[in-house]
Amino acid sequence: MLFYYLRLSALSYRRNPILSTLMVLAVAIGIGAYMVIFTLNFVMGGNPIPHKGDQLFHVQMDIGNPNESFNPPDQLTYIDSMALMNDGRAFRQTVSSKFGGIIEPDNPELRPFAASGRGASADFFAMFDVPFLYGTAWDSSADEDLQQVVVLSRELNERLYGGTDSTGQTLRLEGNSFQIIGVIDNWNPVPKYYDVNNGPFDTGEEIYLPWNLIVSLELPRGGNTSCYKAVDGVGFQSFLNSECVWIQYWVELQDADQESDYLTFINNYAAEQKQLGRFEKPLNNNLLDVEEWLVEQEVLPDETRILSALATMLLAVCLLNTIGLLLSKFLSKSAEIGVRQALGAHKGSLFIQHVIEAGFIGLIGGLFGAVLASFGLEGIKILLGDDLMQTSWIQLDLNLVGITIVLAVACTILAGLYPIWRACHVNPAIHLKTQ
Amino acid sequence: MLKMTDVSKVFRTELVETHALSDFSLTIDEGEFVTITGPSGCGKTTFLNIAGLLETHTSGEYLLDGTDVLSLNDYQRAKLRNQKIGFIFQSFNLMPDLNLFDNIDVPLRYRGMKSAERKERIEAALESVGLLARKKHVPSQLSGGQQQRIAIARALVGEPLFLLADEPTGNLDSNTAQGVLELLQEINEAGTTIIMVTHDQELASRSKRNIHILDGRISSPALTTVSSEPQAAAASI
Amino acid sequence: MIEAGPILRAMTRNKLGVILITLQIAFTMTVVINAIFIINERSSLMARPSGLDEANMFYISSVGFGDDYNGPVTVADDLAMLRQLPGVENATVTNAIPVSGSGSNSGVRLSDDESAAAAFAAYYRVDEQAIDTMDLDLIAGRNFNTGDIQWREPGQDLLRQELVISRALGERLFPDRPLNDVLGETIYIAGLQPQTVIGVVNQLQGPWPTNSMVELSMLQPMPSVGGRSTYLIRTEPGERDRLMAEVEEMLVSTNENRIVRGLMSLEQTREESYRIDSAMSTVLWVVISTLIFITCMGIVGLAVFGINRRRKQIGTRRALGATRSEILSYFMTENFLVTAIGVFLGAVLTIGFSIVLTSSFNMPTMAWYYTPIGMLALIVIGQIAVLGPSSGAARTEPAIATRSV
Repeated sequence: MLFYYLRLSALSYRRNPILSTLMVLAVAIGIGAYMVIFTLNFVMGGNPIPHKGDQLFHVQMDIGNPNESFNPPDQLTYIDSMALMNDGRAFRQTVSSKFGGIIEPDNPELRPFAASGRGASADFFAMFDVPFLYGTAWDSSADEDLQQVVVLSRELNERLYGGTDSTGQTLRLEGNSFQIIGVIDNWNPVPKYYDVNNGPFDTGEEIYLPWNLIVSLELPRGGNTSCYKAVDGVGFQSFLNSECVWIQYWVELQDADQESDYLTFINNYAAEQKQLGRFEKPLNNNLLDVEEWLVEQEVLPDETRILSALATMLLAVCLLNTIGLLLSKFLSKSAEIGVRQALGAHKGSLFIQHVIEAGFIGLIGGLFGAVLASFGLEGIKILLGDDLMQTSWIQLDLNLVGITIVLAVACTILAGLYPIWRACHVNPAIHLKTQ
Repeated sequence: MLKMTDVSKVFRTELVETHALSDFSLTIDEGEFVTITGPSGCGKTTFLNIAGLLETHTSGEYLLDGTDVLSLNDYQRAKLRNQKIGFIFQSFNLMPDLNLFDNIDVPLRYRGMKSAERKERIEAALESVGLLARKKHVPSQLSGGQQQRIAIARALVGEPLFLLADEPTGNLDSNTAQGVLELLQEINEAGTTIIMVTHDQELASRSKRNIHILDGRISSPALTTVSSEPQAAAASI
Repeated sequence: MIEAGPILRAMTRNKLGVILITLQIAFTMTVVINAIFIINERSSLMARPSGLDEANMFYISSVGFGDDYNGPVTVADDLAMLRQLPGVENATVTNAIPVSGSGSNSGVRLSDDESAAAAFAAYYRVDEQAIDTMDLDLIAGRNFNTGDIQWREPGQDLLRQELVISRALGERLFPDRPLNDVLGETIYIAGLQPQTVIGVVNQLQGPWPTNSMVELSMLQPMPSVGGRSTYLIRTEPGERDRLMAEVEEMLVSTNENRIVRGLMSLEQTREESYRIDSAMSTVLWVVISTLIFITCMGIVGLAVFGINRRRKQIGTRRALGATRSEILSYFMTENFLVTAIGVFLGAVLTIGFSIVLTSSFNMPTMAWYYTPIGMLALIVIGQIAVLGPSSGAARTEPAIATRSV
């Protein structure tokens, strides 16, 4: 019977093409607009590493001015991150921060250029599931022994070595030589959850190296730095000893016990530091998982949150329109419904017929809506440009097309409930006489 | 087969109470050809709607093929309509966007019949009204008479107990009407009971049995006589 | 004369239609008014001047590398060459660019107690040509002179004590005091010597346009001559684009031990910094026009449906002596009444939604006149939408009354 009813729906569409097309248009516009915003929210507000949702934690320690009521700073000081790193009790842990440097390519045809980099610990790659194209990450001995090794991004490897396996080659960076030990494959999580402090939708860095080298080689640091107290003295060492936060600290913990143990550990550490006159504010350290951290940092922009409320109202207006249009369409079919009842249709079969008819309109509306949403997302991509942030993710994938269509069908049937109810309760007796 | 005892139908609004049928009693047996006549608003249509299970009566008893229909729910009534009653309307009431085959298919669909059997029956029905060759046409491509033949084929395809015809020739010119009446006559002779509402007194007086309704009641038993030569009467219209 | 009474009574017989249109109008109004408010908010943010002569300015960075790179000499040579270029009005070196999104700020206090409350102000570390290069309006005090400048290599102490502040910073630190009076005041910035205010510029925005303290800024005479220098250049009108190419080429060719990057005009920088805002405005305009279109479609649809249903009744009225304009005004009045209910509901929703925006998105409160103007606008839009169908209805021939359909 499903195909029979679908055929009836198609025939019914052809009978009132203008009315039906208006409905399709209303559904398509409402759903299309909603899906554009939904997609933005879905990705920007999503967790890009859900399978480690309860294992990766960002560490926050509340140093700060006791007279100000700011939240704990987003990053850690050198002193604290080194203390945590030296303890090393988490299953995995990494410090991480940005730097920039000049690369002097061996290839004489390439001029020196500036590249963005990230210092990290050996565990970084395993913690964040970084895929490798060639070679591997360094191991923790490289962190300890200050081995001058680097891992390149796929794009940088493309630029410097034409995409060939460059492991084993030597790279000149900021006047130092580094051995290339690995090249990572495409890896651009959105949001860039492992570093939301420096542009949550930025592209990943081009070079990765053992974090300690940033200190030992005094590489040009990048990324946000905040100091609640002035640096005491000048020079790099004074900066390292300061109360400036600039290092991100992530740990991987395997279960809730490890989590509470770790929180206890950092709280105990903070208590010890209080004895030394640091950590002047009341104890307020945080261990937030990826999702909590993204929410705490308000990664999802206000714009998309406001737009999602507006798009919901736009969808509501479109559906209110659809209710009216479906009602006139179904009521114009009263005679046919009367005949069907005379020929043996009961209310149940009329209900199914009209649910399918509404669903059919929703289906076409959903298909058009998916097309509209694709255009809309393409438009947003153009408006945002590709030079400020990653925008390649701004598109409808198959899942989102599926969601669009299911949502369109569901919304149209929902909008159709009253019209369908009216259609099922047509009194056949008054519609069978001569019109 | 159809037995009404003291059937009444009252329409109530806030202000008035209208008795469309009052204490209406009637029995129709298998194979009969009954005409129903009466002036506008007498209750003909109400009788037809109740007989066809399109409306429920207010009081009294209506036995259709032995079943008391008052107690049935919507689903059971729909099933009875589908299996036991064939409808023919003045304005044909074909579905404009279904072709002839699909129009006749409608009642069989609600019966949940298998595709092969439906096809066989529909083609037989089309054959019997002489329109098999045009099964892919839509109603608007047909003349009024042809449309009514399709409506008759649709009414018959489910092999109902009886046909309810509401002014079946009302929208047709006299020549075409003649042909439709002859077709109904043949159907009746083949064994199907026909109940036909008409305003044509002459046609009615020549039928096997005529029931005249006035103000919701059967007006005069005297008129419910059997015509002596029904075929001749029909043929002479 | 059309009276509302009979129309209202007729409307109660088509409750659903009235409810549908009312809700559509209410939602449409909520979205449209709030969206227009957001657009106006954003464009007034985008319209704020930075204080600089943006149309004729660009900047470029030079990053030295290798042991052969000599920062102080390079910067001095570069500035001298830049200032001599035909078409260049002036050039300076700075650590940050206004409106660019990247820079530094410090807490500024009136006492040397680091726990005292501070105003956070952006700082630009520049030479004595900065005020002229940026084309800032010095409204009190004096500019830096050559002797005030400390060319500073990394790791050197910050020694200078002269400071030029923006008017907004002056007003923040010394409320209710005339700006001339502020000159000579000492202020404290962590990590620096106590600073003396020597001048006030009318306006100089910080690098972060979304920050609420964007107008708080200061100029410090301590340009860095470390590895990285950013040159800010003002040209004669119309010469900017030519000079951008020329300057880049010149910097690239004069020194092997550096790379040149980040060539950008201030107009481009402004476009980038406000791109999200202008994208948001564009998206909102699309939402507004779509919504008005859909709502008009709904109004027209309902009107056509209602008119067709009452076609015979209209004919009868005409036969009974109603003039065309009376029929027209019947339907216009009907639409007016439905829209009026809609905009009153809409006013409640609009204000409610605006309160939500204010409380959860740090938006300013919507001015009172938005809602009444919006109500009026939607009534006008409704009347325009229903004009077509109504005049169609008014053309109904009285003869239709006697025809059976």
